[in-house]
Amino acid sequence: MQAAYIARRFGVFLLIVWLAATLNFFLPRLSGQDPVRAKLLEQAQLGGYVQGGIEEMTREYERRFGLDKPLWRQYVTYLRDVSRLDFNYSIANYPRTVNELIADALPWTVGLLGTTTLLSFGIGTLLGALLAWPRAPHWMRWLMPPLWALHAIPFFLLGLILTYLLAFRLPLLPIFGGYSAGAVPALTWHFTWDVFQHALLPALSIILVSTGGWALGMRGMMVTTMGEDYVLFAEAKGLKAPTVFMRYCVRNAVLPQITALALALGQVLSGAVLVEVIFGYPGIGTLLYQAIRENDHFVIQGIVFTVIVALGFTTFVLDVIYPWLDPRISYRRV
Amino acid sequence: MRAVFRYIRRNPSLALGIALLAMLVLFVLIGSLMVDIENARPLSVPALRPPSADYPFGTDRQGRDLLAVMVAGTPLTLRIGFVAGFIGVGLGTVLAFIAAYYRGVIDTVIRAIADIGLTVPGLLVLIIIAVSIKGTLTVNQMAIIVASLAWLYPTRTIRAQVLSLRERGYVEMAQLSGMSGPGIIFFELMPNLLPYLAATLVNAVSAAILASIYLEVLGLGPIDSPTLGMTLYWVYFNAAMINGWWWWWTAPTVIILTVFLGMFFLTVGLDEIANPRLRQSA
Amino acid sequence: MSDRPLILHPGRRDLIKVGLAAGAAALLPWHHAHADLPPIARDRTMILVWGGREGRWVDWDLWNPYSIGSNHQNGPNLVYEPLAYYSAFADKTYMWLAESYAFVPDFKRLTIKTRPGIAWSDGEPFGAEDVAYTLNTLRDLGPKVRWGVDVQQAVEKATAADADTVVIDFKIPAPRFFFFMTYKYDIGVYIVPKHIFEGQDWTTFKHFDLGKKWPVTTSPWQVVDASPQQKVFNRRSAWWAADRKLAPLPAVERNIWLPFAGEQQAAQALITDQLDAGTGMQPATFPTMFRKNPKITTYTGQSSPYGYMDWWPISLYVNNERPPFDDKDVRWALSYYLDRKQLIEVGYLGANTPSNLPLPPYPPLLPYFDTVKDLLAKHDTNEFAPKKGDSLLAAKGFKKDGGGFWADAQGKRLNVDIIGFGASGPAMGPVLAEMLKRRGVEAGMGLPPDFDSRFQKGDYDGAIYGHGGSINEPYATLRLYQGASIAVPGAHQANFSRWKNADYDKLVDEAYVTAPDDTKKLSDIWRRAMEIWLPELPDIQLVQNYHRIPWDTTYWKNWPTEENAYVNGAHWHLTFAMVLWSLQSA
Repeated sequence: MQAAYIARRFGVFLLIVWLAATLNFFLPRLSGQDPVRAKLLEQAQLGGYVQGGIEEMTREYERRFGLDKPLWRQYVTYLRDVSRLDFNYSIANYPRTVNELIADALPWTVGLLGTTTLLSFGIGTLLGALLAWPRAPHWMRWLMPPLWALHAIPFFLLGLILTYLLAFRLPLLPIFGGYSAGAVPALTWHFTWDVFQHALLPALSIILVSTGGWALGMRGMMVTTMGEDYVLFAEAKGLKAPTVFMRYCVRNAVLPQITALALALGQVLSGAVLVEVIFGYPGIGTLLYQAIRENDHFVIQGIVFTVIVALGFTTFVLDVIYPWLDPRISYRRV
Repeated sequence: MRAVFRYIRRNPSLALGIALLAMLVLFVLIGSLMVDIENARPLSVPALRPPSADYPFGTDRQGRDLLAVMVAGTPLTLRIGFVAGFIGVGLGTVLAFIAAYYRGVIDTVIRAIADIGLTVPGLLVLIIIAVSIKGTLTVNQMAIIVASLAWLYPTRTIRAQVLSLRERGYVEMAQLSGMSGPGIIFFELMPNLLPYLAATLVNAVSAAILASIYLEVLGLGPIDSPTLGMTLYWVYFNAAMINGWWWWWTAPTVIILTVFLGMFFLTVGLDEIANPRLRQSA
Repeated sequence: MSDRPLILHPGRRDLIKVGLAAGAAALLPWHHAHADLPPIARDRTMILVWGGREGRWVDWDLWNPYSIGSNHQNGPNLVYEPLAYYSAFADKTYMWLAESYAFVPDFKRLTIKTRPGIAWSDGEPFGAEDVAYTLNTLRDLGPKVRWGVDVQQAVEKATAADADTVVIDFKIPAPRFFFFMTYKYDIGVYIVPKHIFEGQDWTTFKHFDLGKKWPVTTSPWQVVDASPQQKVFNRRSAWWAADRKLAPLPAVERNIWLPFAGEQQAAQALITDQLDAGTGMQPATFPTMFRKNPKITTYTGQSSPYGYMDWWPISLYVNNERPPFDDKDVRWALSYYLDRKQLIEVGYLGANTPSNLPLPPYPPLLPYFDTVKDLLAKHDTNEFAPKKGDSLLAAKGFKKDGGGFWADAQGKRLNVDIIGFGASGPAMGPVLAEMLKRRGVEAGMGLPPDFDSRFQKGDYDGAIYGHGGSINEPYATLRLYQGASIAVPGAHQANFSRWKNADYDKLVDEAYVTAPDDTKKLSDIWRRAMEIWLPELPDIQLVQNYHRIPWDTTYWKNWPTEENAYVNGAHWHLTFAMVLWSLQSA
């Protein structure tokens, strides 16, 4: 029974990856934007001078990227390349490859967003649970309004304010970049500390902003769960309050939170554009943003495919372990 | 009337939420009577004046009266948020219930659509739409663009919630007593989920407002319209913070905060209505 | 009730464990770690911020400036030295790798003498072979690489007659070819080392390998680190130009290039002396920076317009192929509706100047402004006269409708959707649109992501864009409006405004075959061309473009200024090496 369930879920995972990859192949091409021409013209725009032969160059590179072929041929090539995890060259940064670009950006994004997502999930869920629990200390009620207020401030605005206060008014932290100018990446304590300091401001603004969201979601679920019969029953049975709280309320209320966390972790790979823009943090978000603006098909496809696989995979894992987490769901089909 | 007041005294969160949102509505209503909305356009007033008797919110670099901008822009931004949020949660709820209740093929299809949709970067969709609109982007187009993706996430999370509920005893009881599918959904499942739906709605509306602001700040919004997000775009473009033009970003920030705080207290209050047990402990 | 699976807790705990492990395994960017760089004191290091993409260098390993993804503006401008430098501010050519050059009278052959005894940084000698190889390869590759088409159009073949002599034969007369190769602003031909590039595919070759000390250079700048975060150059201990007293050995020992991450961040870093040079900034930010760090200065010191005039005067282009903008009276009416003074006041806080012709009033170009003074008086391209505009439109059958907007006989409103990009779009766009609206023209403003494609394909009504044309004689600007050319077969035409005039085209061809130093003849052609161009007004002249670059004098002085205008100071231009060797310890 379980093996069949897992096999079916895995099939769904593969299907979703394929469908999503297909959608993301056609979507950028729908816009009718011409990435090669745009790239060549962008250089002209930076320099002010339009060099000769933009038309010829556009044709030449469209041929090279296979963009002159019929759509179905491009699609077949795409599927073949993607199945080998070869995402081709970046159109806008030729001859750099998409894999190189992603490799440049991925560690920064995973390091920053992975950590902050887990941290804000942990803090937010705990706070949310306590806020809904009648026995929680009374002062905790006053935590929620500021948390939610922080959640309400757009990322970038909080980022700007924090930069202004913490990096400029009181120059405690570096203003921008992944590490100091002139520092050389190396496995030393000094450099690690440098990277950590640079990550602190963006991390702080992400945690401050997103904790409120997790807390609110958890609180909403707790309110529902605490009205349940089994909770009343547990209380009536005379179980200790903390036991009822953890075993009966939190345990059940946390499930949708975990769904959301899994999705959020999958989304981590697509980065946080604005935070990265504000702090000059060289992650995947800005890479994707730039690729979308330039309609760099191959970079968009490469990043989105990575995200799809990550998301599909977390969803798959979630489906497999959900029945373990929620005693009320079984593998049995009704 | 007295009963209403008595209830409000018992449920201060609801009152506060309503009060905050009402303040905003009043601000817009009174504001539109007091100021000339035309002054939200550039070149209308002297540039870069700090708040004064003539310009209570100050003016920006291109000669917009920020009070007029706020009066004109607040409803625009709210419109984007509410339109997109309601479409998102409405569609999401319906799909989630259908998927989680009937399971099987329908569930798989709906889930697949939501899962695939979630993989598409929102920016990509917006830019594709923005590129295909040859004229100037309008506020309504903006709302539809944000809504086009706003239903995916609610579908996913509400479905998980319904899944857990439908295994309950009372659903089986209802099934045994011959209640129809839609009947069970409406009379048995929906009421249990209302607080969660309310929270989801608040989240969706605020997410839609944030999404619109986010796109606008990146310079992808309706550049001709004085929405809160476009005001923040100008703040950022002109590096207003470092130049000490505090009034320029204070007004939109305060209004955005009021919106979100108002909606927050509203849900807290709604929770208490849905689940009176909570109130006793407050 | 459903039967419950028995295993409960291990599943959940495993999930949490896996999650934590994944978080902990989040890799930091060690992947391009290499041997430590010895530190160099801050006061001997020059740090600048420029370009990049949202705070990163995407092209950090592209040091072959001809591949289409690379850009000389991001560092290669220091690596590849030119045959000659030209400073428009000083109106002076500095012969560099080339010692001298000579054209034959019909401009079909150019002979260049390179300086003997120069070596690449790997010890191989530099010489005529490198120049000939560069030009011949560009000719062969054509549209596959940057500048290929420009070279292909003109060059028949280049031969190294001896170690120090290059002979270039042209397909067509090419009187401006040496100037084209000379470094100024963003135009010039980069001479590459033949012994490295030969046998490589120029379209994919990166010329980057720190282990091999690539990129190889004749300049004093050795790339010692490059990553998405920074590009670091160290000064080499010896440099041929210093040995020959052409330039001092730079006092800067290390030059660090950081990617731009936003105006506020850059301003803050300048105020706290973490940067020595910023990138182009909004006028309003300057007084703030001066107040907080009095050591910050600009080309015009601490006073407006905080920078120097770029070669790129900005216009409101209207699409001459689309009615009603195909009518010169409509174009003039729009021009009369625009108050440039207010535009500068609001858009640039006063820190700009109006532009009345599509070229900048640089010293070598001033005589050409004088030649058309009377024409400009008659056709004042900066005149703000709404009444004149009204009567022009009324004469064309436009009437104001109920909403106060001009509409044609069929009731169709006069509508201009203006597109813009970069800094000029947001700075001026909304103001321009509002000015037109107030005069009854229904104008809208947008910043579409595909601005470049739309603009170049002519898929626009109105657009805010500049002119990358002349800096020392009028041909390059004249060419911007040429619809078709006989003198340059298959020439690529910019012609953004899509304006067409056969007589004008002939004059441009005539200018092409005129020697660039024949100012008398060029003046005459220019005047005749302007007699056609000015009444037509293909695009509506607005303002100049200023490069407002903040420089911190805490560690470095002798930046180019109004009083000491040795070159334009942009570190992204091909002439940046001149600034770098002129800097002195403060």
